[in-house]
Amino acid sequence: MHGRVKVRTTEEERERKKKEQVLKMRAYRAAMTRIQKKRSLGELDDEMLGLTVQILLRNPDITTLWNIRRECVLRKTAELQMAMEKDEARSKQEVGKEDESDNPKVVKEDESDKPKVGEQGDGDKKAGEQKEDGTKEILAQQLQSIYKTELDLTEQCLMVNPKSYNGWHHRCWTLEQNPQADWQRELQLCNKYLKYDERNFHTWDYRRYVSDKASVPAEQELDFCTEKIKVNFSNYSSWHHRSLLLPKLYPNEQQDRPMSEHKLKEELEMVLTAAFTDPNDSSAWFYQRWLLGSGAHTEQKATVAAFRCWPHKAQLSLKRSHPELAQLTVQLISGQKTLQLQPWTSVNSEKNQWQCEQAIEIDPSQDYFLDVAGQRMQLAVQPSDQSLYYFVPPHATSSCSKELLAELQTQLQSCLDLLEYEPDSKWTLLTSALLMRAIDVSSYHEQSLTHLAKLEQVDALRQGYYQDLSARWTMEMALAKWPTSSSYPQLFELPTKMSRMPYAQYLIVADKISS
Amino acid sequence: MDFTTFVKPSNGGATESDDTSKLQFWKHVKYIENHGKQEDDYEYCMTEFLRMSGIFWGVTALDIMGQLDRLDRKSIIEFVKRCQCPVSGGFAPCEGHDPHMLYTLSAIQVLAIYDALDVIDCDAVVRFVVGLQQPDGSFFGDKWGEVDNRFSFCAVATLTLLKRMEQTIDVEKAVKFVMSCCNQTDGGFGSKPGAESHAGLIYCCVGFLSLTHRLHLLDVDKLGWWLCERQLPSGGLNGRPEKLPDVCYSWWVLSSLTIMGRLHWISSEKLQQFILSCQDTETGGFSDRTGNMPDIFHTLFGIGGLSLLGHPGLKAINPTLCMPQYIIDRLGIQPQVLNQA
Repeated sequence: MHGRVKVRTTEEERERKKKEQVLKMRAYRAAMTRIQKKRSLGELDDEMLGLTVQILLRNPDITTLWNIRRECVLRKTAELQMAMEKDEARSKQEVGKEDESDNPKVVKEDESDKPKVGEQGDGDKKAGEQKEDGTKEILAQQLQSIYKTELDLTEQCLMVNPKSYNGWHHRCWTLEQNPQADWQRELQLCNKYLKYDERNFHTWDYRRYVSDKASVPAEQELDFCTEKIKVNFSNYSSWHHRSLLLPKLYPNEQQDRPMSEHKLKEELEMVLTAAFTDPNDSSAWFYQRWLLGSGAHTEQKATVAAFRCWPHKAQLSLKRSHPELAQLTVQLISGQKTLQLQPWTSVNSEKNQWQCEQAIEIDPSQDYFLDVAGQRMQLAVQPSDQSLYYFVPPHATSSCSKELLAELQTQLQSCLDLLEYEPDSKWTLLTSALLMRAIDVSSYHEQSLTHLAKLEQVDALRQGYYQDLSARWTMEMALAKWPTSSSYPQLFELPTKMSRMPYAQYLIVADKISS
Repeated sequence: MDFTTFVKPSNGGATESDDTSKLQFWKHVKYIENHGKQEDDYEYCMTEFLRMSGIFWGVTALDIMGQLDRLDRKSIIEFVKRCQCPVSGGFAPCEGHDPHMLYTLSAIQVLAIYDALDVIDCDAVVRFVVGLQQPDGSFFGDKWGEVDNRFSFCAVATLTLLKRMEQTIDVEKAVKFVMSCCNQTDGGFGSKPGAESHAGLIYCCVGFLSLTHRLHLLDVDKLGWWLCERQLPSGGLNGRPEKLPDVCYSWWVLSSLTIMGRLHWISSEKLQQFILSCQDTETGGFSDRTGNMPDIFHTLFGIGGLSLLGHPGLKAINPTLCMPQYIIDRLGIQPQVLNQA
């Protein structure tokens, strides 16, 4: 139960309500008893449909009653099907007779082509009494009226409770039964329901289902989205729908951004206008952060972050956790020699650090390569102990065209201007930090951290999040700079002021970590 | 949409003893205890279609409060037994209704809490669940074909509690389907592919990945951020951006963040205040929001949320299965949980 305010009522009122409820309860129980009795007797008839309607209109969440209606529908349509087959058989006989009399049958077939699919009927009464075409038409109409009854009922129920999973599912089920379903009409229905509640995720899900059935072009859906967003920027559902369409319509070839740079620039412009309209509304800002990100990370490949091996063991760190590393082929290659490294055991619960105890012959004068499931990396020699190692810092920045860079800079300036007037604006603080990092991580590093420090104050609920994000950015910077340091790779100097230590797996390359 | 107009805890009629800053422990016990005794209560009657889940909510909440003995174990077990469908093996919410994945999980959870899984035909339950998996890895809720990630969660949770996940369903395909519902914008999940992220469905999918030990497939930083953004100035959590806070969404988000090792990304103190403000200090029980009518569903999630936040006087609750931790330990089950990183 959601959103029912507790109201104080008088004794009188309470009594009246109680009496009303007793009556409703009695009616409910009587109807349920009758329904269950009829069901056990296999009476899936019109009375059954009537009984279930009474209850479902009040409470569309009673799944069993929808199941019973589906049983009724299946029974009725099967009966129509039978009548239809009988009718077909009879008309074939008649056609046969006509053939004999040299009567061209083409015309006849053309006529009977129209109600092709649903041409079944309640044969018991009518078949045989009507002329052939008339019968088919009537049978088809009867079939459609069975479906229409269900569609009308779900529509009524959804008016009462637009979030009824059962109501929506029954509607889909009914349409799936009907080969002549009118998907365009369903699309209109979505428009109507989205006008009542533009955030109802059931309606949006239904819209995606229906537009797929009706083969609505993605461009058209995108236009619909744009219209919706223009009416109200604060519509996360609509931004979400958009985020599904754009990567398909405007794919990014390098796959380091959510969509093509050209479209990305346009989207950035649009979303910032939206966000500035009401800077306290989160919807557009979420979308903006997605635009600034690196797109989908669907690859579940094991990406090596660092590697080190000594004559008696090897250690391997992965960018992301990969529980199945033990099943991958890991090889150490030098010249003609290939050494299989196995077995691997994980040394932490995140399963991003692995170890392999094995005798490994190392000749520092040779070039060595590490091969993990086909990915090959060149190894270097640790001067301290002649071990072999590989290291690549996390997060390479995405490429950026001049046009896109210019747009990002304009946006950053707009955000900074806004902060002049509203220095505590949470979303502006965060977004400007993200824009800075999209433009140039290194030169804006300190300033972006200042924004996070400020966010810890103005958005104290999420203090822990900002602290961790700050630690992540700090560590990313330290790891990126490390290979240029004179102490690399023996010594890693841990940055100060970190809430915790992310990217710890990258440090297996170092002999010592100082703090 | 506008959460600044959210009604503050100023419900009229509060007396000095009705302090919403403290857990009204005994009132809640009474509320849950009485819940099953009101055969003629209108609400009770009209919610029979979800009775099995109602029982699970009450039993779990009382067990977390250390008061399970207030309910009649024997009659509850008998009731559950009667609800198993002899044909499909699934459980109906109550007699006269049809079996469904949702109530099958609730039934198994109740029996697991009572250590009474041996009284039913478990093989039949496994057959029911396995039979509902589709070629794409998804699950139907029942034979009528509704597909939803809630059912994927119910399927693996049921099989986990029965210790029958191995060699029954196609786990790889099930994982693949759930991951096909992951949204790249926010790292969250909806009910089916393409559906908007929603805290309730995120709980189902994160819980599913916890039970199948696949949490590494999550983009924890992205999803964790979206989830911690659910906390509103009142301390309560909502289920989607720009929506009202709610005790049940507080549970869905809180448990997901706990499983992901990111509980420290929200303010526990403020959330606790919000949950406590949703107590009905007259009748006991929790409502969705401050000042609303209580119900058994929100009562479990109120108590469960407080337990996850470490409120004294409550037993620990398992964030993945929403059941007392000691039961999960007794069964020897270990849903995956990520460390803080």
